[in-house]
Amino acid sequence: MSDKSNKQEQSIRVENLVKQFGKGESLVEVIKGASFTIYKGELVALIAPSGAGKTTLLMMIGCVLEPTSGQIYIGEEKVYDNRWLTQNTRSIRREKIGFIFQAHYLIPFLNVIENITLLPQTNGISKEDSEASARKILNYFDIEEKAYAMPSELSGGQNQRVAIARALANKPDIILADEPTAALDMDRSINVVKMLKQIAAEQNVAVIMVTHDERMLKYCDRVMKVENKKVVFQEFEKEGG
Amino acid sequence: MINLAYKDVMHTLGKFTVTAMGVGMLLGIVLIMIGVYRGMMVDAETLLKDINADVWVVQEHTLGPFAEASRVHEDLKDTLKGIQGVDKTAAFTFQNLQLPKESTPVRVVAVGFDPFGEVDVINRARLVKGTGLTHDHFQIVVSKVTGFDVGDKILLGRDTYNVVGVTVGTVSSGGDPLVYVSLKDAQKLQFLYSNAQIRNDRDRGIPVSSETHMVNAVIATLKPGFDVDSVANDIQRWKHLSVYTRAEQKDILTKNLIERASKQIGLFTVILVLVSTIIIALIIYTMTLEKMKEIAIMKLIGIPNSMIIKMIVQETILLGFLAFLFGNLFSHLIYEKFPKRVVLDAPDALALFVIVILASILASFIGVRKVIHADPTSAIGG
Repeated sequence: MSDKSNKQEQSIRVENLVKQFGKGESLVEVIKGASFTIYKGELVALIAPSGAGKTTLLMMIGCVLEPTSGQIYIGEEKVYDNRWLTQNTRSIRREKIGFIFQAHYLIPFLNVIENITLLPQTNGISKEDSEASARKILNYFDIEEKAYAMPSELSGGQNQRVAIARALANKPDIILADEPTAALDMDRSINVVKMLKQIAAEQNVAVIMVTHDERMLKYCDRVMKVENKKVVFQEFEKEGG
Repeated sequence: MINLAYKDVMHTLGKFTVTAMGVGMLLGIVLIMIGVYRGMMVDAETLLKDINADVWVVQEHTLGPFAEASRVHEDLKDTLKGIQGVDKTAAFTFQNLQLPKESTPVRVVAVGFDPFGEVDVINRARLVKGTGLTHDHFQIVVSKVTGFDVGDKILLGRDTYNVVGVTVGTVSSGGDPLVYVSLKDAQKLQFLYSNAQIRNDRDRGIPVSSETHMVNAVIATLKPGFDVDSVANDIQRWKHLSVYTRAEQKDILTKNLIERASKQIGLFTVILVLVSTIIIALIIYTMTLEKMKEIAIMKLIGIPNSMIIKMIVQETILLGFLAFLFGNLFSHLIYEKFPKRVVLDAPDALALFVIVILASILASFIGVRKVIHADPTSAIGG
């Protein structure tokens, strides 16, 4: 394990995480004793061959899928210790995690600003405050003029930016991006990854990005790989390096 | 807080409205069915209310002219006067007739009464044209729906009758229009055989009766202070006749005669409400299925189930509410086109509204169940 060891603030820490499916003879172990720490401000790529368990890992650290054993910390808070420490894992996702998907997956019946403010308002932030915050994010992504447009009225690139803006809206500790460049051409993919890197650094949030595209790795801070059911960090050539 | 149901409905307003209109038409039919039942009840009581008798005296062991054949002597109206407490009396005949008309004959119920008697059966509030009966013979007052007008001539039996008045809203318990003729004419129409029949009967050795002074019922009103049941008992005991109070006659009309029809309509109504509920449930289920990806995403990013369920339930209730409004509009637009009376009562509409809202909540459960079981992980992996 080549874990980064500096004094940075941890965003997520995983210790001895195990995930098994089935029982008895049909028992399948997908993740075996994964341990790693991701720090705020980092963009980390998660790679693995299909079926190796990267989506399973992403769902476990996203508090969607319950691990078999181990510990998970989000920020400084331990959320899993051989069992969920809260009954409502959805509130953890709502308050601490941002999700970005392969497609934009915006709610089609909400306009841009409603898509972005839905989570903050659910978290109890007032309409005025959440909208002011959303406008800043939209301005950051240079699409403020589209605040009241419906997703169907936006281009694919604009929708993806709104989806990233939505992931940022609840000021998460960590953003989990599930192949956000899978549906994009090379230039747009590079733009999105660079944007995620910029967000990680400027918003002080950790971004874990699942990708199959090795050309994107050079833009990341670290590359995490699921190999033989274990999570390892692999060496790679950084952009400009 | 963002109202997801409102946003979703506004996003698909056209589709939602058309769907509500479709369900609304079904609910409109439900209202019409209830209206038909109410109409039958009103029809059944129309003549009873117009005659306004305290007791009905009919042939012994029969239920009276509306339910069974009944014949009593006309002069019973005079002998009843001897019973203590009886005030006014009148004799009536009731018979089905087909009024000849160019296209198709008009089926009516003819009420025969003495126009110079103590009880005038024609409710003046319903008389919209002409007069009541002013002569003993060959005059007829018709219901407007028969299509005849004052001055028209109608051939009945051997005689031609002049239409002297037109009424509205006058129907028999079966919903057929009422016409009024004098008692003498009615007796002639009901009891007098044709010449050919009389000759035929003579040849067969059957004695020919010229007795036409029979009626189907005699009614009586009571003097103030007399108990209806007690007077009815006296008539029954001394005259060997069947006697019914107004309430009993109403029961015969509304329970005995239209009970089956009302049960039939009731069953239709229940089935239609059930069908509407199932349709609403299927619509909501389909609408929920269409949103499963969004629901999975909402669950994944942390939107609580309660918010998503609220959206489904609110949309279902809104669909039910809009369908109810369209149903009301639809039923009010078409109810007058029905050949028989349809009465749209506000309390019925209110009851249907409550049922529709409850049915909508019930129907939303299927969508809610789908939401609860939606897998948030299905949002990951494209």
